[in-house]
Amino acid sequence: MVQWIRTRMFRKYAHGAFHPVSLGVALILAWSMMTSTGFAADVQPPGGVHKGVDVEQPIEFPHNIHVEVNKINCMYCHTYARRSKVAGIPPTSKCMGCHKIIATDKPRIQKLTEYWQKGESPKWKKVHDVPDFVHFTHERHLKKFVFDRDYPVEDVKEVCAFCHGQIKEMTVAKKVKPLNMGWCAGCHEKNGGPGDCWKCHK
Amino acid sequence: MSGKLNRRDFLKALGLGGTATLAGCDMPTTVTLEEGKEDVVSYLLPEEYVIPGVGVTYASTCTQCNAGCGVHGRVREGRVLKVEGHPDSPINAGKTCQMGQALVQAHYNPDRIKSPMVREGGSLVPATWEKAQALLDEKLGSKANLAAGRVAWLTGTVSGHQRALITNHLESVGSNHHFAVEVVNTNVWSAVSRDMLDDPQPQISLDKAKLILSFGADFMGTWQSPVHFAGQFSRMRTAADRGALIQVESKMSMTGGSADLWVAIRPGTEGILALGLANYLIANGVSSASLPGDARDKLAAYDMQKVSNATGVSTATIERIGKALKNRAPSVVLAGAAVEGQVNGYEAVSAIMLLNVMLGNIGQTILPSGKFPLQQLEAKVGGTRDLAAFAQAAAQKQFDVVLVHGANPVFTAPASLKLDEALASVPFKVVMTQFPDETAMMADLVLPVSSTLEDWGTHVAAYQAGASNISIQQPLMEPLYDQTRGFGDIVISMLAMRNAAQYGSFKDYYGYLRNVFANLKGAGATASLSPDEFWNNSLQAGMIKIDSTPRKHTVKASIAAIDAPAADANFPLTLIPSARMGLFDGRHANLPWLQESPDQIAKVVWGSWAEIHPSTASKMGITHGDVIRIESEAGGIEARAYLTNTVHADAIAVPLGQGHTEYGRYAKGRGVNPLKIVKAAVDAKTGELALFATRVKVSKTNKNEIILRLGHSDTQHGRRLVRTVSVDALKRTKGA
Ligand code: SF4
Repeated sequence: MVQWIRTRMFRKYAHGAFHPVSLGVALILAWSMMTSTGFAADVQPPGGVHKGVDVEQPIEFPHNIHVEVNKINCMYCHTYARRSKVAGIPPTSKCMGCHKIIATDKPRIQKLTEYWQKGESPKWKKVHDVPDFVHFTHERHLKKFVFDRDYPVEDVKEVCAFCHGQIKEMTVAKKVKPLNMGWCAGCHEKNGGPGDCWKCHK
Repeated sequence: MSGKLNRRDFLKALGLGGTATLAGCDMPTTVTLEEGKEDVVSYLLPEEYVIPGVGVTYASTCTQCNAGCGVHGRVREGRVLKVEGHPDSPINAGKTCQMGQALVQAHYNPDRIKSPMVREGGSLVPATWEKAQALLDEKLGSKANLAAGRVAWLTGTVSGHQRALITNHLESVGSNHHFAVEVVNTNVWSAVSRDMLDDPQPQISLDKAKLILSFGADFMGTWQSPVHFAGQFSRMRTAADRGALIQVESKMSMTGGSADLWVAIRPGTEGILALGLANYLIANGVSSASLPGDARDKLAAYDMQKVSNATGVSTATIERIGKALKNRAPSVVLAGAAVEGQVNGYEAVSAIMLLNVMLGNIGQTILPSGKFPLQQLEAKVGGTRDLAAFAQAAAQKQFDVVLVHGANPVFTAPASLKLDEALASVPFKVVMTQFPDETAMMADLVLPVSSTLEDWGTHVAAYQAGASNISIQQPLMEPLYDQTRGFGDIVISMLAMRNAAQYGSFKDYYGYLRNVFANLKGAGATASLSPDEFWNNSLQAGMIKIDSTPRKHTVKASIAAIDAPAADANFPLTLIPSARMGLFDGRHANLPWLQESPDQIAKVVWGSWAEIHPSTASKMGITHGDVIRIESEAGGIEARAYLTNTVHADAIAVPLGQGHTEYGRYAKGRGVNPLKIVKAAVDAKTGELALFATRVKVSKTNKNEIILRLGHSDTQHGRRLVRTVSVDALKRTKGA
């Protein structure tokens, strides 16, 4: 349905008779119709693969142990994801909150403790990124795919996996999805995300 | 001058010139989407109110011109990203101009000076702060052998506690020479207002006017408080009973571009037109009761035909303006830089103010200002009189030490003042600046100061819009470079050298301000607050309201005869060194955003040009883009001719701003500076330089260059890109 509305409206606009503001309003209407009529339950995760490189990090952080073994929620550490455009790397103090006590005999934790005692944070290497002219926001995506759907928050990792892959199976993160415009737009098409340029390119 | 811009320069200008530019902006050395290349560092401890990715807003004050607009800066992850107007500021009510928008570009500018520099063996070399301080101590400290009156400060317009500290510093070194220089100013207007109304900065209320008659006052671009007046103007324009703007000038300004009626006038004859209009009004029934007894007789000499001959404005137009003035009350009549900048500028502005008196505008659209109670904080308003006075005093070897801040006199002074030679003869010159400008390059000691967004300050705008306020400037982020210092910090440290008992206890300017604020008298609603509460509230609001007593206007009108500038067959044209919002007086030529935002009228970017009327050009065989030589008795410059009917046929306009010989990569070596060929005549009453009275002649060179210009054409070539509809047609269809 969205497809239909959009092409029709673009066609009209191309003839110079449709005003861009009303186009925006119509799209917002279409969006709210979908979310309120249960479209959101019908989520189609994006496909696509990217053969990422193995990135060497200052500490080989084991995502798998934290997520799979200890069942820690992604948003416990990446706490800003639901409130901000960025998910955030956890503050070192958060790591130390547990690791003052837990696993202090492991070399990785000893290295972390060294950083902490020096008053420094590790210089992590960025793995997932989009260009500066793309305004991606974690907050909106979590709202749509988790909170607005009443999706169980404890399973949020399945939603994170849309773009980040199965982090629960990795140690340090590796880029496994293309994260390029065609890929984003494809998912927006399938799931009724906004199609206006200015939504992402402000 | 080179009008050519190769691809490499172009990319550089866009900030894409490779790693050097990026590194200079203090960006990470690698900006890439590649995995594992860019660092990402978390907080050690999370700050409670900080969410990465979400901006926090702080209030501060814009310093890009002297209007003192309040701003809100958005800070994310410790870096300021954007500056917008402070919604509660009585000056700018949430808006900024383009110069205000570019405040962040001055802050992140790659050409900022990053460490002190000392002159050694003829050239400036980087030095440590220890060395710089030692040098200051040697020349200005307690052991320095300073005779009375041998130290001078040379600044731009300065106010608030920075001004108070400068005054105190001068006192501590036994001197009182504070020169404030500013090429764009309204000092003659102020002098006339003071003499005729007993109020140097009367409040203008454009929104109450039904007609604005502006003689070249670019009140939305460069005049007094542009954002404030732009707000008033838009309210006037959108009111149900819409007011009108008539702009009379020799070169169209941005304000002129918005006029309902734009009138080109022969340069330097605005005062004659004003007297002619006064005469017309009396003849048509406007009372002359408020004027001196001999007014009628004196004005009778300015009959319509004579005025028309002198000004080049047709009698029909004079009558049209006269009728509008008579019928649309209240009105307001303003005078701008081109009227002030004549040898009889004072008389011309007086004639214009006379119209306000006759038309009963005083008390209606021209209102009394409040008398600011804290005199030591009031703005020391800069002008060109001080430019000449400094050049003269320095040439007479009156100073051993000169301290410069917030001014670039070597760039702005006309060559005929020989200010550079005079400055060179001063034994010790200290320049406190962010950028390697022309004046800094002549210094013996250069002290790199913090940017506006890194520093503390208090500001009292000369034009106090609405209410009396102190605007507060606070750091929005940590300094980008560890070898820069706040201006206040530097002055406090110099004061401590002379007067340790009083200033030694302040660690820095912040400490001084905290102390001052704890004792600030006359600030509204301070009584019930603790010093900490008052301080925090002030920072949050970005300003403090000060209780002031309103002045009373007592009108003392006078009329003086005004002669048209004498014709000169050798120098047939008048030079108009026009300032515009954007590059302003040249201080913003190092900000690429302002270089690339087109001149509001000519739409030219990145260079100099000379605006000449097509009829004048055709007489000399000059075509668009021809490089022409413009010569006065004081020197010559070359610029590309830009043919336009937005300039009077007897004038040639060269915009201010370009022609820097220093000042970083974006400004240096670009275009020409018309101020250099201005003849050093002065307005007799005020001593301000007559910047708009220089006569020039024009000759062709055999070069022709492209003028980089937005749009490049004034016609739509029949393509109807922008459709228009006549007012009548619109009215007919309204509501249909
Ligand atoms: S008018 Fe002046 S103070 Fe106000 S925003 Fe513009 S540059 Fe800043």
